[in-house]
Amino acid sequence: MSRALARRETIAGYLFMLPSLFFFITFVIYPMVMCVWTSLFNSTMGKEAQDTFIGIANFVELFQDKIFLKALWNTILIVVVSVPTVCIFSLWVSSRIYNMPDWACSLFRVIFYLPVITGSVAVTVVWKWMFNNYYGIFNYVGTSLGILEKNINWLGDERFALWCIILILFTTSVGQPIVLYVSALGNVDQSLVEAAQVDGATDLQVFWKIKWPQIMPTTLYILVITTINSFQCFALIQLLTSGGPNNSTQTIMYYIYYTCFKLYRYGYANAMGVVLAIIIAILSAVQFKVAQEK
Amino acid sequence: MKERKNKSPYAIGSAVVIAILAFLFAFPLYWIVTGAFKTPAAINAAQPDWFPVEWTLRNFEVLFAKRSAPLWELAVPFSETLTGKTVYFSVGPTPPAAFRWLINTVFMSVAAMVLTCVTASLAGYALAKKRFWGRGLMFTLIVCAMALPKQVILIPLVREMAALNLSDTLWAVIFPIVGWPFGVFLMKQFSEGIPGEILESARIDGAGELKTFTSIALPIIQPGIGALAIFTFINAWNDYFMQLIMLQNTGSLTISLGIAKLQGENATDFGLIMAGAALASVPIIIVFLAFQKYFTKGITMGAVKG
Amino acid sequence: MKKALALILALCLALSVVACGGAASSAPASESTPAEGGEAAPATTQITLATYPIGKWSDEAVVNELIAGFNAVHPEIEVTVQYLDYTNGDDAVNTAIEAGTAPDVIFEGPERLVANWGAKGYLVDLADLVNPNTYASVIGSCTSENGAVYELPVCMTAHCMGINKDLFEAAGAWQYVDAESHTWTTENFVKAVEALVAYGHTNVGAVYCGGQGGDQGTRALVTNLYGGTYANAEHTAYTANCAENVKALQLLKDLEGINFDASIVGGDEVSLFANGTLAMAFCWNVALENNNAETIQFDAFPMAFPTESGDPVLQGGIWGFGIFDNGDQAKIDAAKTFVEYMTTGDAYVAAVEASSYWPVFEVEGMYEGNEQMTEYGLLVPYMGDYYQITKGWTEARTAWWNALQAIGSGTDVQEALDTFVETANAAANAA
Repeated sequence: MSRALARRETIAGYLFMLPSLFFFITFVIYPMVMCVWTSLFNSTMGKEAQDTFIGIANFVELFQDKIFLKALWNTILIVVVSVPTVCIFSLWVSSRIYNMPDWACSLFRVIFYLPVITGSVAVTVVWKWMFNNYYGIFNYVGTSLGILEKNINWLGDERFALWCIILILFTTSVGQPIVLYVSALGNVDQSLVEAAQVDGATDLQVFWKIKWPQIMPTTLYILVITTINSFQCFALIQLLTSGGPNNSTQTIMYYIYYTCFKLYRYGYANAMGVVLAIIIAILSAVQFKVAQEK
Repeated sequence: MKERKNKSPYAIGSAVVIAILAFLFAFPLYWIVTGAFKTPAAINAAQPDWFPVEWTLRNFEVLFAKRSAPLWELAVPFSETLTGKTVYFSVGPTPPAAFRWLINTVFMSVAAMVLTCVTASLAGYALAKKRFWGRGLMFTLIVCAMALPKQVILIPLVREMAALNLSDTLWAVIFPIVGWPFGVFLMKQFSEGIPGEILESARIDGAGELKTFTSIALPIIQPGIGALAIFTFINAWNDYFMQLIMLQNTGSLTISLGIAKLQGENATDFGLIMAGAALASVPIIIVFLAFQKYFTKGITMGAVKG
Repeated sequence: MKKALALILALCLALSVVACGGAASSAPASESTPAEGGEAAPATTQITLATYPIGKWSDEAVVNELIAGFNAVHPEIEVTVQYLDYTNGDDAVNTAIEAGTAPDVIFEGPERLVANWGAKGYLVDLADLVNPNTYASVIGSCTSENGAVYELPVCMTAHCMGINKDLFEAAGAWQYVDAESHTWTTENFVKAVEALVAYGHTNVGAVYCGGQGGDQGTRALVTNLYGGTYANAEHTAYTANCAENVKALQLLKDLEGINFDASIVGGDEVSLFANGTLAMAFCWNVALENNNAETIQFDAFPMAFPTESGDPVLQGGIWGFGIFDNGDQAKIDAAKTFVEYMTTGDAYVAAVEASSYWPVFEVEGMYEGNEQMTEYGLLVPYMGDYYQITKGWTEARTAWWNALQAIGSGTDVQEALDTFVETANAAANAA
């Protein structure tokens, strides 16, 4: 490339990037930088409150904070449990429905997508009602069918609360993957499938040897969006349990919010944000590398 | 291109299981809609009514009587400097605030969608097709920031919006959504598919950069823009967190936030809350069903390239 | 499809232009036509009033009427109302403070106004507006340790318990209640709970701990049972891990019929009581009865918390106005005009009636002949120390429901309370 052309490319490139960069830098990068900066301070709310520089003390405290570690563990648990189950479940459902008659296939697709469309808050409040200790439908069905001995306080019991959250998250997460898998499976090269069947391959072999490699890009995409989704689950926690009982549903997302607005420890909350951002950046970099190699 | 009809016991069994699961997935929505029409007594009964025995509009009446806000308002520019107070044109009457919240939500989602599509398609095109200095770095930055939850930048963002005088406006919710770089990433993947030779020949023909973009690139990446539009719309509609921290006044709330606040006030009046939830979800579900084909196409489109 | 897209796009652009100012923040609640500014108007000032659900102060119609009364006298001040709830309200105000859009006037109690926002330096001293007849203890609770009055008190009440009289009678538990003085002993309280459980009503009461909402009830219950304390008399340190409280919580934990429920807060407990699910409410007062009148199908009987000594100490509630200093003197002055109007003359009576609580100084003839207020009024003399202004209150509140959750999940009572005191005192010392 000639130098003039390179310059023209650079200028044009940046001009095209400009509008997007403006929003990206102003509303993502700049706050991120401020977040890193504040994380080194003891910063709190108050008209006369002065931020004092305390170096990495916030970070040191963080890893001794039992609630933070609990929140970190819960966050990882949510991601580790929900991502694979969402992927496997949606793949299974899709593989069963994609060759059904059109009307049935799209009916199922729509139904599984409904919780996404309903909206996180609307979904959360109805689940709150269904999980209600005193007149929720779960306890009614459970006790009247004899599955439950007595009412369970689903969201108020340490043993169940996090699993309830994961269940709700699951129902709101599978819609998109199912739509994606149905279309990906429909696009699998049929001649290869038929050729394999002629050669006497079993259904399972056909799936692993032929379909699976072809839907790999879709799988990766689903992994990425489901991970993002699981990390960002906030409304569920805020509206259902506020991190309780006994911090059993505390996640980093909610703990940051809590540290800011209930404990007024901005520097500390920002330190948490930084740690989380690093974890997520590493995770997405890994996922991206894997995706590129495929 | 249907596969051979599969009538094995496994196929039948799994179809039944999926049908049951589908029923369970649809149940919360059914429960919202019917709950909205149940009497408080029926709602609080230990033995629930599977179907409202006694239909009532009480929940909606209470919901509508609760708060009101002008349907739409326009602040007259500079009125504050001239008269010392902000002058508003309010359009129409002052109906229940829930309608204003719906309008706010639609406006917010659509504005976020349009802005994202415009900025992301330009940037994605540049990242994919322009060879410029710093491109690699920028792309890495975008990928890393993509999964970043907004809670991380909570306080700086609140302060920034205050400094920009955007607090408690819908823009404070819209702009961070637009800034979120997922759209750029998606559009870059789409733009990779634009054949370099066509761009090259357009350039040789003397077409300007913008002309090349609009006449050649745009038609090719159009399906991608559709996908991004749908994705952003749903995302913005569901972005409860930003709404929660940015919006406070009755007139600036969104419908999700409105219901959340309703729940904070009337914690166990589930009938009332279901009325709010129904109001929030039914319109968008109708839109979804009407444009279902485009939705599914849009959603799939995102992944084929992503 | 293409055409539709273009249409949507055009529509959005048009909307965006309109909305550039339109989505702007402070939308006036009252009807605001530009015509108002038509005459060579003296500059109007716009102020925001944020109110927590204090009695009917959460009811738009009631509040609008109060403001209409104000505007009849002061048309030059336009009041926008922001309704807060006890679940999200604090967070909303905190974000607004950070964003510099704090409301001008806020209606709440000393634990927020004095101990939190006032102590943090956001509020204006209102000492010059205090009615000299105000009860001294009330003024004391509204005064910060630097002598500034950050809350202009409006109304007060005693938080008590509510019991379902019909149910108590049916279960034969009514005999344990001293209906005359509205008190009962710890022993009788336990017997009553046992009687209700034996009657088949297994959800007698709930030690709610899903959040801070209504925590005055759980605090009062625990401290009253065996006469423990929550904070010291100087309001400088927390003492909730005393032996009496440990004993009380152990009793509650072991008592069948009392659930430690981390899925609900005070507000939920109230509705559960109102709809008959629970036989007693620990979060109760006259306004709560009025607000739930539609649902209550039984005789809701106000009670003091059970004690061993027969000398209950009730938690007071004092609500009043605080004024945020947003750096605009004109708004501060307008806000002062507003709160002064609301705390004098007929407007004051209306403001107190809207809260359905009691005035903070003698108002002749108020609530005369009102049976309900007379009944609840019997409990007001039991009001004890207003310790909610102890330093580090906000953090301590949070630690309290966390401690209850821990106990509910099986943590040793002493251990949980020790943790509470440690956290709360750390906050008190830092403040």
